[in-house]
Amino acid sequence: MALEAISKQEIKSLIESYENDRRHALRIMQDMQRIYNYVPREGLEALAERFSCPVSSLYSLATFYRALSLKPKGKNVIKVCDGTACHIRGSANLIGSIGRELDIAPGETTEDGMFSLELVNCLGSCALAPVMVVNEKYYSKVSMGQLAGIFNKIREGEDQ
Amino acid sequence: MVITIDGIECECEYGEFLRDIATRCEIEIPALCNHGGLPGQGCCRVCIVEVEIKGWKTVVASCIYPVEQECIVYTNSDKIKRQRAMVLSLMRARAPASKEIELLCSKFGASRNERFIEQEGEKCILCGLCAKTCESIGSGAISTINRGINKDVSTPYDEPSEACLGCGACSEICPTSAIEMEEQGSLRKIWGKAFDLVSCEVCGKPYATTQELDRNAKVLGEPASRLCDVCRRKAIADVLAKTFGS
Amino acid sequence: MRRTVLVCCGTGCLASGSIEVAEALQKELAPDVIIHGVEDACFVKKTGCNGFCENGPIVRIMPDDISYYKVRAKDASAIAKSLETNEPVLRLLYRTGGKAVLSQRENPFYSPQIKIALRNIGEIDPADINDYISRGGYTALKQALGMEPQDIIAQVEASGLRGRGGAGFPTGTKWRYAAGYEPTPKYVIANGDEGDPGAFMDRSILEGDPHSVIEGMAICAIAIGSSTGFLYIRDEYSLALANIEKAIQDAEDAGFLGESIIGSSKSLKLSIVRGGGAFVCGESTALMASIEGRVGEPRAKYIRSVQRGIWDLPTVLNNVETFANIPVIIRDGAENFAKLGTEKSKGTKVFALVGKVKRTGLVEIPMGVTLRHLIFDIGGGVIDDMPFKAVQTGGPSGGVIPENMLDLPVDFDTLTEYGAMMGSGGMIVMDSTNCMVEVARYYTAFLADESCGRCTPCREGLRQMLMILTDICEGRGREGDIELLEEIGSTLVDASLCALGKSAPNPVLTTIRYFRSEYEAHIRDKVCEAGVCPELASFAVDPVKCTGCTLCELTCPVGAVSGKQKEIYTIDSKVCITCGACRQACRFDAVVAIPRRR
Repeated sequence: MALEAISKQEIKSLIESYENDRRHALRIMQDMQRIYNYVPREGLEALAERFSCPVSSLYSLATFYRALSLKPKGKNVIKVCDGTACHIRGSANLIGSIGRELDIAPGETTEDGMFSLELVNCLGSCALAPVMVVNEKYYSKVSMGQLAGIFNKIREGEDQ
Repeated sequence: MVITIDGIECECEYGEFLRDIATRCEIEIPALCNHGGLPGQGCCRVCIVEVEIKGWKTVVASCIYPVEQECIVYTNSDKIKRQRAMVLSLMRARAPASKEIELLCSKFGASRNERFIEQEGEKCILCGLCAKTCESIGSGAISTINRGINKDVSTPYDEPSEACLGCGACSEICPTSAIEMEEQGSLRKIWGKAFDLVSCEVCGKPYATTQELDRNAKVLGEPASRLCDVCRRKAIADVLAKTFGS
Repeated sequence: MRRTVLVCCGTGCLASGSIEVAEALQKELAPDVIIHGVEDACFVKKTGCNGFCENGPIVRIMPDDISYYKVRAKDASAIAKSLETNEPVLRLLYRTGGKAVLSQRENPFYSPQIKIALRNIGEIDPADINDYISRGGYTALKQALGMEPQDIIAQVEASGLRGRGGAGFPTGTKWRYAAGYEPTPKYVIANGDEGDPGAFMDRSILEGDPHSVIEGMAICAIAIGSSTGFLYIRDEYSLALANIEKAIQDAEDAGFLGESIIGSSKSLKLSIVRGGGAFVCGESTALMASIEGRVGEPRAKYIRSVQRGIWDLPTVLNNVETFANIPVIIRDGAENFAKLGTEKSKGTKVFALVGKVKRTGLVEIPMGVTLRHLIFDIGGGVIDDMPFKAVQTGGPSGGVIPENMLDLPVDFDTLTEYGAMMGSGGMIVMDSTNCMVEVARYYTAFLADESCGRCTPCREGLRQMLMILTDICEGRGREGDIELLEEIGSTLVDASLCALGKSAPNPVLTTIRYFRSEYEAHIRDKVCEAGVCPELASFAVDPVKCTGCTLCELTCPVGAVSGKQKEIYTIDSKVCITCGACRQACRFDAVVAIPRRR
């Protein structure tokens, strides 16, 4: 996937929009994740400079929290809930089918950078199990037959 | 305040850590993630003991347990023996290459469990002392990364770290000799980075990295000593002898 | 006649399209004001979660108290018409025992419920502070401002309220301790990092009634002398985050938060912290570390957080549901609250009834009711009337409970005696097609990934347990594995650093305790009777039951099912990946799991 250039200025103004307090580290990195689809190295280093703390302590955070990733994710992140309710209602099959459909395993991104597949903890929508979320849209009681249609629609949306 | 450890009465202050009290009373409680210079990490769990207060028994990590009331402590009850042996067996599967763990295992009756998956060649028990040390001396070159069973210790991005001074404190403090520090002549290699060593002006032995001395000079605000530890001590002794000697 | 049309816009109903329903209804009812005037017009109101998510989107007509289920946008005109004619839309009503019911009071899912924590949810627009106020909101805060802090605490103590997050520590006692310590500032924290898979009561409260949590926190702050608070909320809960953010702003504007609460000398500044995505941060000390901007590793609790919590200062951390109960206790009195529940577990508890149960959703009932009542009377029993196998309670820290123990009362202490726990209230019903060994493996894998990895027993113990359980599920189980799992488990219970590790083996230990024979079948006979473990099961079509409907063929992801329409289908075991999708799809129970003997 073609990475949009990371603007140092943009990172700087993001960091400086928070007061210089270590406790905002997680939040700032979450913001970066939202903007860039990952926490870029430039961002991590700029943040360390701001807090006058070692890069290692922020790297430690970035690898600890699941909301953060150090590698770019796909344009469309498919989150498959693997909470217990979804699990016992067949989320494993769903994951397998998505994997076959897109040729990726959980944690991977398709070659064209279009989709990332993620297993996520309970989304609290147990009544609708198994649940899949793509770009904040919930798909409830997903059956395997629906998948191709859903992904094609997302692809078409991207083309427009 | 007086508490009883394995039947021995021990004097102690309110809030003192249990293992410190035991050590003072010459009662040995094994520990790996505990080092005098740093607060207890409470994570290796080898130092577990049973504490009985008003008839209630609980298992605690003695290196970080503050004694706040009178209690009876058992460092070697059947339960503790069993749990400590299991902790050590688990540790041995994690770090099968560590001689230190092997020794502790035989000392505390922990057998090698062939059912466990072993991480071949591994010596690190992930106690985190190295990262704590590195952080507290102000370098912060390494840290624990990831979580759960994927926890590890590493430099950022697993690359040679700019922050690393090559001081070797991490290797020094490691209870299982897991951090390799290679030294050849005046070259030191650690965490994938090579450092030039400065030689002692007196004995000529390489003793510290340039980066380390620069940092020391910065902290002290004066040029760092050009002598190795042994020669420096000797020099001080000479001065003292001249001043106070007959 | 003036009516309110309540459209449920909780996450569940939203996923089923409730926004479109609300918009369609708004469009249909727009001319109402012109025709009838403001006094007699019908208004649409978007509410929080009604709890009966599986049957959403839910639309309620008030004051008639008529509830419609599974409403689509195209039903809007019929509903609008019914408001004119006063004839309910029969096809959208809930049916039970062959009878359509109008009111939630006649619906067996709702009728036994007594709502305290969920009192306003589904009744009010969570984005409108006046809705909350109109139902008695913020009166408790006013009362509390006129009370001595000691009296507030005494009231909470007298109510018998215990922490709803799972540990069940008496809330009043916690507040009393925190109030008693000298150092300031002190902090109030709401734990909304709901991590137990299968529980979503906190999300529902934050989404549907955010002011109840804010009011509870404000009362706590007054009682312990704090003026700073945090709400730590899961990042995935986008609607909850949005609603609580608005609620904090509105409460500040209305003078219930910020400097000088309702003109008094008290103040409280609340901020939201978005969770980083780590289950362990549900543990209080890890959560505080996370707010401080550090890695979410717990610390030993030999010194409690009420004394030295966040930034080493006295801190009260309560669960979202606990805080939501507080205003009711102050407003209606501790005695009223303490009347409900059991001797040691007072009040009500919200349960998330999910899994293989007919009526899925959130249920609030007094503590002490039996599991059987919860699952079979309220939940309506197992889907498709399959044989009930177990209910998993308390999430990854809890355990499974078998059929013969369904008459146990649900409260803080009873289930714990049997190796499970009520925990935060997740109830996951499992039927005969669920494999208990696989369930244990699932939870262990979850915890192995979610543990902070700091202490040896938890990290290394879970690593080995996961390996052994995976071996058992894949046909490599050995004699002695069960005993070894029990042994490692007992070390985790005793020697782990925090509550996550200490409770981590519960799913394994309880499945062994109550379903040992399933483990033995996996290990000795290499058989998974439930047909879940792919290596130990295969599927076949029952020729008597098969109707040739083609559904299995259409569902099979690998083309292993073949046959002709209206004839009996067959499964090619060489191609079959034993995913079980055909069995789930079959409406006639014709796909059966047969043990794969080796």
